[in-house]
Amino acid sequence: MSAKLIQKIDWLSILLYFSLVIIGWLNIYSTTLTDENTSVFNLTLPYGKQLFFIGLSVFLIILVLSVEAKFYERFSSIIYLVSLVFLLGLFVFGKNVNGATSWYAIGGMTLQPSEFAKAATALALAKYLSDIQTSINRLKDQLRALLIIAIPALLIIPQPDPGSALVYASFFFVLYREGLSPLYLFIGLVAILLFVATLIFQSAWVAFGSFAIVLLVFIVKKRRNKRTSVLPYLITLIAAIGFSYSVSFIYNNVFEQRHRDRFGLWLRLEKDPQKLDEIRKTIGYNTFQSESAIGSGGFFGKGYLEGTRTKGDFVPEQHTDFIFSTVGEEWGFAGSTLVVLLFSILLLRLLFLAERQKSQFSRIYGYSVASILFFHFAINIGMVIGLLPTVGIPLPFFSYGGSGLWGFTILLFIFLKLDANRINEWL
Amino acid sequence: MPIQEKNILNRLYFVAGCMFLFALAVVGKLVYIQMAEGDKYKELAKERTIKNFTIQPNRGNLYSDDGSLLATSVTRYDIRFDAVAPSKKNFEKNLKALSDSLSMMFDKPSSFYQNTLRKARNTRNRYLLIRRNLGYSEYTKIKSFPLFSMGPYKGGIIVEQRTVREHPLGKIAERSVGYERFDENGYVTRVGLEGAFGQYLRGREGKRLKQKIAKGQWKPISGDNEVEPKDGYDVISTIDINIQDIAHHALMEQLQKYEADHGTVVVMEVKTGEIKAISNLGVNKEGNYYERLNYAVGESHEPGSTFKLMTMVAALEDKVIDTSDIVDTGNGVLTFFKKYKVRDSNRRGYGKITASKAFEVSSNTGVVKMIDSFYKKNPEKFVNRLYNMGLNKKLDLPIIGEGNPYIPHPNKKGWSGISLQWMAYGYEVSLTPLQTLTFYNAIANDGEMVKPRLIKEVKEWNKTIMKFDREVINPSICSKSTIGKVKQMMRNVVEKKHGTGHDLYSPNFSMAGKTGTCQKDYASKENKLQYISTFAGYFPAENPKYSCIVVIHEPDKKKGYYGADVSGPVFKAVAQKIYTNSPLIDTVDEVDTVEEKLEENYKAYYAKAQKNYTVIPNVKGMSGMDAISLLENMGLRVKVNGNGKVKEQSLQPGKKIESNATIVLKLS
Repeated sequence: MSAKLIQKIDWLSILLYFSLVIIGWLNIYSTTLTDENTSVFNLTLPYGKQLFFIGLSVFLIILVLSVEAKFYERFSSIIYLVSLVFLLGLFVFGKNVNGATSWYAIGGMTLQPSEFAKAATALALAKYLSDIQTSINRLKDQLRALLIIAIPALLIIPQPDPGSALVYASFFFVLYREGLSPLYLFIGLVAILLFVATLIFQSAWVAFGSFAIVLLVFIVKKRRNKRTSVLPYLITLIAAIGFSYSVSFIYNNVFEQRHRDRFGLWLRLEKDPQKLDEIRKTIGYNTFQSESAIGSGGFFGKGYLEGTRTKGDFVPEQHTDFIFSTVGEEWGFAGSTLVVLLFSILLLRLLFLAERQKSQFSRIYGYSVASILFFHFAINIGMVIGLLPTVGIPLPFFSYGGSGLWGFTILLFIFLKLDANRINEWL
Repeated sequence: MPIQEKNILNRLYFVAGCMFLFALAVVGKLVYIQMAEGDKYKELAKERTIKNFTIQPNRGNLYSDDGSLLATSVTRYDIRFDAVAPSKKNFEKNLKALSDSLSMMFDKPSSFYQNTLRKARNTRNRYLLIRRNLGYSEYTKIKSFPLFSMGPYKGGIIVEQRTVREHPLGKIAERSVGYERFDENGYVTRVGLEGAFGQYLRGREGKRLKQKIAKGQWKPISGDNEVEPKDGYDVISTIDINIQDIAHHALMEQLQKYEADHGTVVVMEVKTGEIKAISNLGVNKEGNYYERLNYAVGESHEPGSTFKLMTMVAALEDKVIDTSDIVDTGNGVLTFFKKYKVRDSNRRGYGKITASKAFEVSSNTGVVKMIDSFYKKNPEKFVNRLYNMGLNKKLDLPIIGEGNPYIPHPNKKGWSGISLQWMAYGYEVSLTPLQTLTFYNAIANDGEMVKPRLIKEVKEWNKTIMKFDREVINPSICSKSTIGKVKQMMRNVVEKKHGTGHDLYSPNFSMAGKTGTCQKDYASKENKLQYISTFAGYFPAENPKYSCIVVIHEPDKKKGYYGADVSGPVFKAVAQKIYTNSPLIDTVDEVDTVEEKLEENYKAYYAKAQKNYTVIPNVKGMSGMDAISLLENMGLRVKVNGNGKVKEQSLQPGKKIESNATIVLKLS
């Protein structure tokens, strides 16, 4: 089996994986290097620990690859249930770190089950959708699929860790690929647009705008087809306006000031430049510092271990969620683009691998892996460079943290195992 | 699942396109911040390595009312040793001498230090702990020891300095004094007085930019700090440490007994408004009570029956009722609009009783009925009366976080047809415990409402920054006759058998007050119903010195919830303790008058004694003792019959004195 595996496995993905992990570690080393020169194996410092985590990942990879591929499909429901139990257990045994009860403390180590739940959910979803009985265009089945996705997300939200929960939205890409009506995606997109529009303009203007657009579409349709009914358009319009007003109500009454400040900063809702600058330096402190670090990097960067913003500890959480700012400062535009490129190649490669799967289960799982990685990548980098509001999730393979690294490693290598096994499944 | 091949491909392109577009957006933004705005950010990071060091300010001292230090900041030193730094020659030469010196100072044998230091050098330990928590004098001494005197680079001494907060009074009131802490994320936990006065004590952090010149070495960029640290001010509080301690423990005991959620007690000096004690205890997850939030100042809630005092004052002041008026409480239920019910706590009513008794037994129906019948037509009059007494205004305290009082007004939003009736017995209104206490204090102070004060003075060294003198909010909240009537009623609450506070009665000292048992979250379902138990009042009843309020939230209903049972004992404990500690102020007055009389007698005696008598004086009416000494000093022998004052003397006044003559005095 071993020789076959070495022959069949997708080495490009593995190469990309190790490139990202190694570049990630180099940046963690730079970020957390202290003035006292200690060994890189020093287990009291983040870079030493991360090296240990990487070592364990290699062990995990071997373990994941040596398990029968059928195991993952057959036991997907059990794996999923076990991960739910672990998420539920946090409510009782969880350890609070930085205000979120997301960890189990075992000995001197902490484990974050939500990092592993993603892979379990992907397996369960793949199993359910690949069932011959399941039809993605039946409302009942859609709801069940939604339930599989939503249960872990709902268990993660109250930890509170809304960032990790948000990642579960990435499964909509998977559902879409498997034939979910584009209408859902369209509605989602319109909802986001309406949300942003409501914050930037007033509800009244959004209502007016929606009316104009719906009227326009209706007139065009009516011209083409005299029998077009006015009712669906009316309902759409009422729904849009209702949505906009409820967004403005929730934004003003349910959201806390810190949430409002984040959106306010992101969409530049504060028009007074002096106040905006003030918000940037207080509420948006992390993003501001991270942008400063990246911005000061220039085209080629300041050089490895030479980043002054990094060394001066200006960026909070730099070795975890804000690790990309180190890349930006020390490796510059060239280095950052390289990292973005590596991620993009990996993601496209995964999509390609997924498409070539013969079994529906493997394909859906592959899509899930690509979508989850994409969401993490997009939200994390978007946050670090100020494209998106601050949502705390790690950059896959890059950010400091054992659970995160292991979770992503398992997620990816289960798929690589399935892929390496793709011919065998016909036997 | 038939999806057409083309359709699938489109979907794949769509997903891949999304990913690609995002990657493009990232690169675009990178171009923007690294190229277009790059210069701006480069400017920011131009210097080789610059770090902002914060300079911690010194926290101010906290004093009690008599000037004893409650909390202060002291510097402590940790001494460590870099065993690698000294040269071999220096190390060997000084090892013995250093160990001897250390041994003399810390009571461990010299050999112990020799071994430890040598072992550290062998294992290349650059951070060997010698001693923690040294005071300044010990620190200067240890710095002069052999080897250490050579300084950090040659001698290897590492001095770490930190500031710790100390409580010179020790455990007493340590909880009440509290602390203010910042964790690494900048989140603050502040409790007790340190928390309440934090804004004065804290000071402001300074900032200093330093540039890295070598590994681990930082050079300040300019001669001055970028932002000078500003030390905190000293705060002289009004807290009396003894009363504070009693109040704290009495409250703690009741909270534990009734497993309540949280509670507060405040003791105020009637004449001056000085807060002599303030304790706020809340329960944590483990069921222990800690100084948590400043409930007394911050928590505005429906007061319940303690508000009947305000109601009665308003009604008496408008002369719509008098204490002897009869009100029919019927069967203990009043119904408004066929659905809103007001009930008496005994569930059957008190029959026909006087207005005064309605207050003393805390009859909800009695009070509501009176207010309803007299103000129904003109609720504004009632509300304005409350407004005039200042009940709708904040106290405007110099500490942050005072809760807002709320009293609805017929002309404003939130007024309903039932508001007047609800208000009459303390619902639909909202006051903080301190606001309620201020009102009770004003009654105790014969109508003069003084502002409560927690801080006497805020000082910077010897300079007064702020001084808080006695401040009168309202010189007279109502007429003297009203004051007299409500004072009597409050006294009856404790002293009369039917009073709700009669359990607190003690023949040894007098108290006056009002109980309150207020329902909380009554809008929700029955099983969630909780209570707020209150007792507010003052003591001694006839000549009030201190007013006090005790509020306990959510006692275990099974163990009891009436204000008199739950909160009353705290009030009584405080009153009792203050009585025993300051022995009978009233009798001291009498002692003074006795002394005056004695003084007069003595003066009379002295005047007589100073005269150089040649004849027998008239000693009739003098006390026997005085007469004897006076006469004996003249050389007479005195014989006495009886005791008391002189009634008769055997030798008549004016007779010439013969030495050794005997005089017989008859005393009554």
